[in-house]
Amino acid sequence: MFIRKRRGWEIPESRVTPEHLVFGRRAALGGLALGGAMALANPAPAAEEAFNPGLRNMRYRPGRDVTAERNATTYNNYYEFGTDKGIYRAAERLPLRPWTVQVDGLVDRPREYAIDDLLQAMPIEERVYRLRCVEAWSMVVPWSGFPLKALLDAVGPQSGAKYVRFETAALRGVMPGLRQSWYPWPYVEGCTLEEAANDLSFMVVGAYGKKLLPQNGAPLRVHQPWKYGFKAGKSLVRITLTAERPKSFWEAIQPQEYGFWANINPEVSHPRWSQASERVLGTGERVPTQLFNGYGEFVADLYAGLQQERLWA
Amino acid sequence: MMQAMLRAAFPPALPPGRARPFPFPWRDRAGRFSWLKAATFALLLAPGAWVAWLAAADGLGPEPWKDGLREIGLWAIRLLLLTLAVTPFARLLAWPRLATLRRMIGLGALGYALLHLAMYAANENFRLLHIAGEIALRFYLTIGFVALLAMAALGWTSTDGWVRALGRRWKRLHLLIWPIAALGVFHFFLQSPKSGLWEAVLAAGLLLWLAFWRLLPAGWRANPLALLALAPAAALGAALVEYAWYALGTNLPAAMILAANLDVGFELRPAVWAGLVALAVPAVACLRKIMD
Repeated sequence: MFIRKRRGWEIPESRVTPEHLVFGRRAALGGLALGGAMALANPAPAAEEAFNPGLRNMRYRPGRDVTAERNATTYNNYYEFGTDKGIYRAAERLPLRPWTVQVDGLVDRPREYAIDDLLQAMPIEERVYRLRCVEAWSMVVPWSGFPLKALLDAVGPQSGAKYVRFETAALRGVMPGLRQSWYPWPYVEGCTLEEAANDLSFMVVGAYGKKLLPQNGAPLRVHQPWKYGFKAGKSLVRITLTAERPKSFWEAIQPQEYGFWANINPEVSHPRWSQASERVLGTGERVPTQLFNGYGEFVADLYAGLQQERLWA
Repeated sequence: MMQAMLRAAFPPALPPGRARPFPFPWRDRAGRFSWLKAATFALLLAPGAWVAWLAAADGLGPEPWKDGLREIGLWAIRLLLLTLAVTPFARLLAWPRLATLRRMIGLGALGYALLHLAMYAANENFRLLHIAGEIALRFYLTIGFVALLAMAALGWTSTDGWVRALGRRWKRLHLLIWPIAALGVFHFFLQSPKSGLWEAVLAAGLLLWLAFWRLLPAGWRANPLALLALAPAAALGAALVEYAWYALGTNLPAAMILAANLDVGFELRPAVWAGLVALAVPAVACLRKIMD
């Protein structure tokens, strides 16, 4: 029997957006005129205008409504700025320019990118991903960014490179959390080179059509939506290709609860709570959690032959 | 047994003419309106009203049930500690009427603890089988639930009828408040998702102070020097609890966290706060003596 499994980007014709909605010319022009008038009255900062969110990649469909921007930008874990979720005001102090990202380690062309040069050099697109936090909540965010693969191609991984290490900024002056000196700062995350080269691995520079905000990891963060959110290191200053597996921040603190792989699996509980379901931020809904957060068709083959690893936490 | 329980919980009506007025929380034992009790009752309701208002005004954030149930649980712990603080304060302030508030505050703590469980169930969409499974499986839920059951038993037996019926055994039964408080604080430690134990450590320090005070020989309990000595004892106890927590449960350098208690330039650690609160006690006691 011929069984046809639809890939994530293959959708029936019936779900195609009607043309008049896509090319709503009159409405768009009207909006433009209104927007123009408003811009004249109240000029937006130049940086706002300069940001290009990219075209939406329709391959990855969230299957849920996009989370309200207010929720995604006011409910954040960012321990450098504090241990509660309301750090967005404290995070405003993060200076986003100038910002350099060092890409080094086992690569042919190590390079230090000024963030704006990196944004120019990379193919920016928009992707709507689900984000599942290890604390059993989730959100759906339209991120702008580029595939990590594009950056890897630019620097040329050497044959000895096995892992990618992501290092978050540690700025003593503006990050009060660093005063808790017993944490293993800087925040480090990592994955295998194969995982990094998977098309889903995304380097985020914007959200909701705008430049990324500090609380969401500006100016550059990694996001691998099939892994728990703590794997998505924020405000990256260094990306290093290594031969040794990096030890990530939470793995260093509580290895019995937070591991290196941290792939999402509803059947493997956190030692202290169930991962079977998740609350979707702002909706009041609780939905079943999916294996690999529902991205299994894109990433499951990465783990063939790795069953002896602790893939799920 | 069942009959005795019911009789104690619902004492028979008194003959007409001697009818006891309904024991509304704002009435004293003689049935008169009491400002002290009314104010206490209002204050007990305030945190719940505040959380309800936040919930109505969309002020609890994108996870309102979780944040709300945490806040309510926090108040259950705070009121439990306050219940235990009534006796020492009545004694140190030489204000015996304070002791008449203890039952109401204790029932307030029970009320918040029950609400906390109900909100947990709501956050789990009232899937009762799943909830029962979680309580059995997750250690922090198990101990929280055990503490709540014991607390409910104390609440049930808090009536005058039960006090009479149990006689001297009542006091022994109600000593259960100590293990309940200890379990509650332990539950508080365990539930924090990744870290951030600040108030749990403070609660541990205050609970230690309350326990130490009762361990003092009766004649020393109002002695300023003994009270002064309790402050560093509570602070050290809280610091050691925190140290043990990080040393046993995490790979964090617990010694560094212990040492951070001495670095008061950045922030006052919760153990230090416990000590400072405890230091206020002899100060208040002295003030009270001067006023006499």
